[in-house]
Amino acid sequence: MELKFEDLTKKFAGFTAVDHINLVMTNGVYGLLGVNGAGKTTLMRMLCTLLEPSSGTITYNGNNIFKMDSEYRKRLGYLPQEFGFYPEFTVKDYLLYIAAIKGIRSTVARKRVRELIAKVGLSKAADRKMKKLSGGMKRRAGVAQAMLNNPEILVLDEPTAGLDPNERIRFRNLISELSEERLVLLSTHIVSDIEYIANEIWLMKDGTIMHKGTADEIINSMPENVWQCFVEKGMVSEYMKRYKISNMKAEPQGVELRIISLEKPSEDARRIEASLEDVFLYYFGEKAGDEDAAV
Amino acid sequence: MCSYIILEKRQVMKMLRFEIKKVFCTFKNKMAVVLLLVILVAVSMLTMNRVEYTDSEGNHISGMLGARSLRAEKKKWKGEITEDVLEAVVRENEAINNSPEALSDDIAEQDKAYAKKQGISGIAELINNAYSEWRDYNYFAIDNVSAKEAKRVYERRVSNLKTYLESGEETFTDSEKNYLIRQYEDLHTPFYYDYTDGWSALLQNISTFILVLALIIGFLVSGIFSSEFQTKADAIFFSAKLGRSRAVLSKMGAGFLITTVFYIIFMLLYTLVVLAALGTDGANCPIQMDMWRSVYNITFLQAYLLIVAGGYVGTLFAATLSMLASAMTRSTATAIIVPFIVLCAFPFLSRVITLPGICSFFPDQLLEIYITLKDFVLVELGGKVVNVIAVIIPIYALACLLLEPILYRVYKKAQVS
Repeated sequence: MELKFEDLTKKFAGFTAVDHINLVMTNGVYGLLGVNGAGKTTLMRMLCTLLEPSSGTITYNGNNIFKMDSEYRKRLGYLPQEFGFYPEFTVKDYLLYIAAIKGIRSTVARKRVRELIAKVGLSKAADRKMKKLSGGMKRRAGVAQAMLNNPEILVLDEPTAGLDPNERIRFRNLISELSEERLVLLSTHIVSDIEYIANEIWLMKDGTIMHKGTADEIINSMPENVWQCFVEKGMVSEYMKRYKISNMKAEPQGVELRIISLEKPSEDARRIEASLEDVFLYYFGEKAGDEDAAV
Repeated sequence: MCSYIILEKRQVMKMLRFEIKKVFCTFKNKMAVVLLLVILVAVSMLTMNRVEYTDSEGNHISGMLGARSLRAEKKKWKGEITEDVLEAVVRENEAINNSPEALSDDIAEQDKAYAKKQGISGIAELINNAYSEWRDYNYFAIDNVSAKEAKRVYERRVSNLKTYLESGEETFTDSEKNYLIRQYEDLHTPFYYDYTDGWSALLQNISTFILVLALIIGFLVSGIFSSEFQTKADAIFFSAKLGRSRAVLSKMGAGFLITTVFYIIFMLLYTLVVLAALGTDGANCPIQMDMWRSVYNITFLQAYLLIVAGGYVGTLFAATLSMLASAMTRSTATAIIVPFIVLCAFPFLSRVITLPGICSFFPDQLLEIYITLKDFVLVELGGKVVNVIAVIIPIYALACLLLEPILYRVYKKAQVS
């Protein structure tokens, strides 16, 4: 299986959300990393045939996915960033309905729904209305619907947004488990979501893929170094003006800073190994300070 | 092959069931159904109270009990309204008018006299109509009609029309005039007299009930397409295998089914409640018993079916437009307004703007067939004169059919950004 973006562009009135992207995907987990507004959702929506590109093509094994129509969509599972559902439906009814519009036969659908409800840990909530579920449970129901047709292509747009750390870890493990023998495209602005499970990471900014590769390749692509040092509390603001700070930790003797810089920021600073989070901060600047990113 | 078709059919039915469930699981739609039931009860009560009876003591009774007594009185005169019957009615009227009760100054006594006329009231009305001025109904015309003159009732119906058409007060073309006269002359006489008050009451309030029904059905279907966007379920819906094909058809099917089933159920309920209370007698009597000047040579039952058919096409048209607005604007609020514009704003427009020719073709006319049955609203098509009802029902039925592929295409092509 091969999914190919060729010169893919999507323009909206006044701006270009996706700008001439050329990529190839085969089986495996692909992590799409970028700040909000980078164009991740637009790219994914085109991949899910929800938006037609302004120019360029997306092909599945050489065939245009928009021309393939339902033949392509039957291979697709999608969990959107804003996971909408029918609030008055029970979890079971919701999944049975999605199974119906995915063209899954009733008997198969019933079995598959039962299995997936158990797999995502919603067995006790199967007859509960969707509107009564917690955020994490809703997301799990979302993953279940995406998996109903056992898709070859699984597209997950910010699947962990709004989840607490425990839920996020559970979710990450679940995605990892589901990713075998399929293509998973996982978009997030939270580095830890993809650091351990993605085979390939794409850094997206202003509608373009600025870097791609494995986590190590991405880390090595950063031209600057990462330093750790202790500074007095009063000096922190001064350091923040001068350097990109990827982490701060208050200690009794001062503040421990993690600094990204080409040069040694202070006498006592020691060079440490860079992480993907440091790279994210380096490429995406202050926006990387999103509170979620600390987890 | 056969099992494949059965499985496909089951699949579509399943989607359809879920679409209908989506509509009726929301609180606002449940409330709309409750409101419709309340309105059904209220309109049925009002309709039943339209039938009144005055007993021999001069007491007024309305509703089911009144209908039962009135029915018994009218049944005494049941049969063809021949010249002999017309003569007999004039004599009976004269006799009652000369009774001590009728001559009394006491209103209660006069009511007792009126009570005696109830059996012949339907025939007396025909005579009144035949001997009234064209635009001025005379309730007491029969009092000045001789037994001999009464025999000319059917002849007077045609001659009065001819006099009116020759008066220059109207604007009909020669073909239209000929059509009207031909229709009048073609009407089968003598009329058959029976108790028709049940049908008459039913038809008088039916337009109001159909309007309410159409608006509430429009409300129910208004969210079928837009709800996917409003609940943000659109991304999953359109990325599903059948999201741009059969799932759209199932939505359209749900809209059509809700419109049709609701319309049939509530019209049946209204009809059954009213006719069970007031009586089904007189279904085959000509509507001219109630609408003397009507150019439609049909019975009460046929008039009812015509009104119901027109109402259904109007309701379906409004519901389809509402669904189209729902799909195009992705807003349920906008979609709810559409049936109001189609069914309520157009009649208002026709009062503000003088466009008599065009107004007769507005969709609200489909819900006003009861009124149209009384009027001379004609259309000339290819040199042939026809009644407007014969034109607007097929036109709007066709419009509904033509809107369906547009609705399908609009929703199928939706972009989710």
